[in-house]
Amino acid sequence: MINVDLTSMIDVVFQLIIFFMFTSQFGELRRTEIDLPKQPGDESAARQEPAMIIDLTNEGLYLVESASTSLAEIERLAAAGVANQLSEDPFDVLIRPDRNAGAIHLDRLLMRLSNTGVQRWKLATVDEGGGS
Amino acid sequence: MSSKRSAKQRRRSAQLGALPLTSMIDVVFLLLIFFLVTANFSKQEHKLPATLQTDGGGVRSSDLQPQILQIRLQSAKPVFVMGEVVVDNLDALEAFLKGLPKEPGVAIRSEPDVPISAIAVALQAARNAGFQKRSYVPSDAQ
Repeated sequence: MINVDLTSMIDVVFQLIIFFMFTSQFGELRRTEIDLPKQPGDESAARQEPAMIIDLTNEGLYLVESASTSLAEIERLAAAGVANQLSEDPFDVLIRPDRNAGAIHLDRLLMRLSNTGVQRWKLATVDEGGGS
Repeated sequence: MSSKRSAKQRRRSAQLGALPLTSMIDVVFLLLIFFLVTANFSKQEHKLPATLQTDGGGVRSSDLQPQILQIRLQSAKPVFVMGEVVVDNLDALEAFLKGLPKEPGVAIRSEPDVPISAIAVALQAARNAGFQKRSYVPSDAQ
């Protein structure tokens, strides 16, 4: 009977498992560093993952997936999301704003989102004592 | 003397067999990488949910008009105005909102120059005061 050395295979399998674990978490880690408003937030809202995340910088730039995105493009993306939403899981948007950005930038964004039929949104915050 | 000792060591290692360090190092590295990957280094983010309401209609769950909380700038500092009442911090706003009826909900709107942190304060105060219906009314500033 041939004696198969399993050690190397197990090594390789473990490496592959770690590689896929690491790359699958990359999407979550890939969030732009933003100086979020310091508030404790609403614990009950923390569980549900948002359908769309929009970052808003201090300069009034809108970022989707860390890429600068125009309001027209955001409107198009949100409209597509609303069109595909399920009744039990309505399309909601998480906005991660810089705490010092002007409300005018948020207003412009929310006006565009309301045009597409978005009804719920969430404001990202961090607890006192540090940014994200 | 030294040759005698080395002969003894050789005999001992022959009895025990060579200790396979390679596998152990492999496992240690794997554990190290696993904990590095699973550790959460970023600051935990929280969320403040709100509905979206526009001047033209938007979300309306009842015929009751929501109480409108305005955020303005006064001497470059945001203040929260509701009717005659003007407050400038979270605790005072929360205490005031607690005394209001909750059923109609609260609608928040702000001047364009107000920092978003003030909107977060208003949403947090409304949430802490027990308002289930919290909406934000964006001004139509193109």
